Amino acid sequence: MTEELRVAVERRNGGAVLYTRGYINNVGGEEIANRAYELMDDGVRALLLNLRDTKIVNSIGISILIEIIEKMMDSGGKIGFCCLTPVIHKTFQIMGLANYASIFDTEEAAVREMNLS
Amino acid sequence: MTQTAERQMELTLPMVPDIEIAAARAAANLARELGMSSERVDEMTHAIIEACINAREHSGCADGRMYLRFVGTSAGDGNPRVDVWITDHGRGFDVSEARTRRQKLGAAHKRGWGLQIIEAHMDEVDITTSDDGTTIHMVKFEKKNHD
Repeated sequence: MTEELRVAVERRNGGAVLYTRGYINNVGGEEIANRAYELMDDGVRALLLNLRDTKIVNSIGISILIEIIEKMMDSGGKIGFCCLTPVIHKTFQIMGLANYASIFDTEEAAVREMNLS
Repeated sequence: MTQTAERQMELTLPMVPDIEIAAARAAANLARELGMSSERVDEMTHAIIEACINAREHSGCADGRMYLRFVGTSAGDGNPRVDVWITDHGRGFDVSEARTRRQKLGAAHKRGWGLQIIEAHMDEVDITTSDDGTTIHMVKFEKKNHD
């Protein structure tokens, strides 16, 4: 029944792209946070989360994503999201996440804008 | 034209982690059978997830269960609707406080967005709450202008 979240990391030009697959709930959000904080501890200051294989999120998972954004902003870095379903995009806007992180339609556009190529 | 109930489903679910996925999938299957579009189904799914999480996390109910009822109707006009009732036997809550609660980036407490998400994703939301429990009734239409 559960859709355990999986995260794959690809390092790119001083930054990284995190590919998520599955449900971003409290457990999934913590998994993303753990990977993101490891990368930040390693000096990464540009993170792109590609959610192309995530179709369901909940407000607890998004609140953890907001915490990641805050930590990245505190360290002078930036976070972007790409490949969101329309409903996830709308949910991000409701919770204000879209005001503090860049959202791109495609990974190509995100990589270009965030200098991750 | 008189609407005809075409699909009904009742579920009693334990309040365990991720049970909201089972509830959402059941409602989504019903909505798809009525011809509801995937984006509308996805919106309803996310609202149901938040309602179930609210019941599980905040109701404080003694029986550890939530009770769900889905009714899908279609009058053959290309505008199917799905009614969803989610009930818990918990302690109830202050709807006006929950409805006006707003968090922003930098706030110490970032949770509590469930009701805002539900109301944004559904077309009609009605909440009945008391010391004996809470029922949230939500309606999703294929077309928002359903006069």
